[in-house]
Amino acid sequence: MFYKNIVLALLIELGLEDLAKYPFIKEAGEYIKKLNIQIEDLNHPDYINIIQRAKERIKDAINKRMVSKEIQKAEVDILSFPIALLIVRMCNNDYLASIYSLAEAIRIEEFLKYERKSIISHIFKTVLNIDVIEVLEDNLMHQFDYKIKIKEYLKRSTQFHELEWKLINRVVNQGYVYLKTHELIRLIREEIRKIIYNRIKNMATPKLPKVIEDAVSEISGMVQKLIINKERISSTLTPKNYPPCVNYALNTLQKGQNLPHFGRFLLSTYLLNIGKTVDEIIQLYPKLPDFNERITKYQVEHIAGLRGGRIKYKCPSCKTLQTHGLCFKDETCDEIKNPLQYGRVKSKNKR
Amino acid sequence: MDDKTLALMKQAFKQYYFKAGDKIIPPTRMSEREFGYIPFGGSMIRHLSFKTFGDLYALLVREAPHSVYYSAAYYHEPTLPMHDKGWKGGDLIFDIDADNLKLPCKKDHDLWECKNCGLKRIGLRPEKCPNCGEVSISELNWACEKCLEAAKNEALKLIEILMKDFGINKSEIKTYFSGNMGYHITIESAEFEDLDQTARSEIADYVSGRGLIPESIGVFKRATYEDLLKNLPRVGEPGWRGRLAISFKNWKVKGFDNDNDVIKKIATLYGKIRYSKFKKRLEVEALNMGAVIDTMVTTDVHRIFRMPDTLHGETGLLKKMCDNLLDFDPLNEAVVLSDELVEVFIDYSPKFRLKDQIYRTFKKEKVKLPLMAAVYLAGKGLARVI
Repeated sequence: MFYKNIVLALLIELGLEDLAKYPFIKEAGEYIKKLNIQIEDLNHPDYINIIQRAKERIKDAINKRMVSKEIQKAEVDILSFPIALLIVRMCNNDYLASIYSLAEAIRIEEFLKYERKSIISHIFKTVLNIDVIEVLEDNLMHQFDYKIKIKEYLKRSTQFHELEWKLINRVVNQGYVYLKTHELIRLIREEIRKIIYNRIKNMATPKLPKVIEDAVSEISGMVQKLIINKERISSTLTPKNYPPCVNYALNTLQKGQNLPHFGRFLLSTYLLNIGKTVDEIIQLYPKLPDFNERITKYQVEHIAGLRGGRIKYKCPSCKTLQTHGLCFKDETCDEIKNPLQYGRVKSKNKR
Repeated sequence: MDDKTLALMKQAFKQYYFKAGDKIIPPTRMSEREFGYIPFGGSMIRHLSFKTFGDLYALLVREAPHSVYYSAAYYHEPTLPMHDKGWKGGDLIFDIDADNLKLPCKKDHDLWECKNCGLKRIGLRPEKCPNCGEVSISELNWACEKCLEAAKNEALKLIEILMKDFGINKSEIKTYFSGNMGYHITIESAEFEDLDQTARSEIADYVSGRGLIPESIGVFKRATYEDLLKNLPRVGEPGWRGRLAISFKNWKVKGFDNDNDVIKKIATLYGKIRYSKFKKRLEVEALNMGAVIDTMVTTDVHRIFRMPDTLHGETGLLKKMCDNLLDFDPLNEAVVLSDELVEVFIDYSPKFRLKDQIYRTFKKEKVKLPLMAAVYLAGKGLARVI
């Protein structure tokens, strides 16, 4: 295996463009190290483009939830990444670190989808220690691009709640799970996000040059506005009589953590059924790392029966929620079959 | 159980363990596992650890327990409370129990007893006692030869999936008769040992055929006939697609009598019954083709499991490794107690076989039985020493 890795490394030539696409890999770090830039150098006008690009990366994350894929100059892009990390670190805001790392992970995912197979294998091996094997021509397996060991698949697939990710819905043979490129790449988004997030969290906090200090206060200002906005919105709902599953979903949203698709479905159907409007519901979501207002609006309207098949969806039953691991029952739940019954039963029991 | 019967059982177990020292294969990674046992007439004692096989064997001979368990998990400190043990990993385990197969013969040999009025009957447990209306009713599950054979078939199905789909070598799959109603399968492999509860539950669902969606075999809600001809699985494909392709041969669809047009047959059927009904049919088919396992056992990473080469307190039979499962006869090969005669009173017992001897049905009678048969009935509470 060791020998095989050396051969693989020799076969792969990573150009500057590649390092710009994947600035979190070791080779990009080595490239920057060789340039021997000191932090105080950043005040020099030569670096203005780099700092500008670093700020853009963060603003993209805040405004568009994905860092732009455009690479104008590879060197600038590569250097802007650690500077963006530093700015996020110095803003000292968990929410920002969270959305920024996800936005970078989505950018990387977009590049990987169309990447050379040798680079995909190299990144999976060196960054995540996963052996990805290319599926060569085979009549029965021609629709797949890669295979990975079952345990590597399961360690990542169980974070998804959609049934298509269940092992039984995959082609499994001789210890391997067969995947198409986009599936393989989707599998590791969260891990890449965590790598970037941890790099931000573990960064030292050096004395900053003026130009970085300015960037930090600019970005901090943006984040503050965003947070005030969210808090105003979330304070409109103070659910005392919501069932624990719905409260769990709400709390997850309020912490800005990822809520699985089915959790969002539960929340939307529940709130629509108790008389909340589509707009009130959409306003709950902006804290989510992957929030897209247009898509969320469409989805909630769809659930409300205003679009698509014009079916107003019912709130899922307690049994279904259990299957999806979203049931957090308390004693009131023993008497109900659907979360919608909770409020009524709880107030009756109080009396 | 009365004291005399308990004493007989304990003595029988003690005698066996005393002689069987060299037949017991110590569990691997022994010092990392938690052990537990149920003494005759007592309740479970857990969180034990043994550094050497000598220490463990001394316990078997001294206590001659009703049941002995060891953890599938490996811990840093097996004797500490669960949260402090430090989970390091664990064997991948499967439990196949004839009782979960819900076979038709259950009603011929299972027994129930009302905890209120004491009414006893053969058959499936009713929801409430027909005599007094009590809902608290105890149940005695019996495994007849048909049950054990059916459990063996499930084990064979499971082993095939583990070998073909999971790529596990036959030598890594240890199959045991459980000592009572079925089979245990243990896989000790670095490939699977560090999987968490959710990953294990995915494996449990996979082998039992649970959670399969039509999309995984190329059947979408809006799929056209042509889409289906292209996407439906062919015989020879790996995994569940291939497994279902084989089963499609047996699906009956009007107008399709031969095996040549299986794909067309299924595509036509889909055109007739559409998505929801097709999905239901597929789900039933997958469950039939999967192995019936107790998913809780596979999923629970802290589970303690009966230790191989120990006796089962409800039967006196051994949890025994099956080198050749196909030919394994549990009611012969797992019988290890002596044939010394003991006198017992039998309340009721169905017909059964142990070794090569067939025992008739007994009803409220005093009989002299070989120790192995006396323990077999006494362990289930059907006989008592007089």
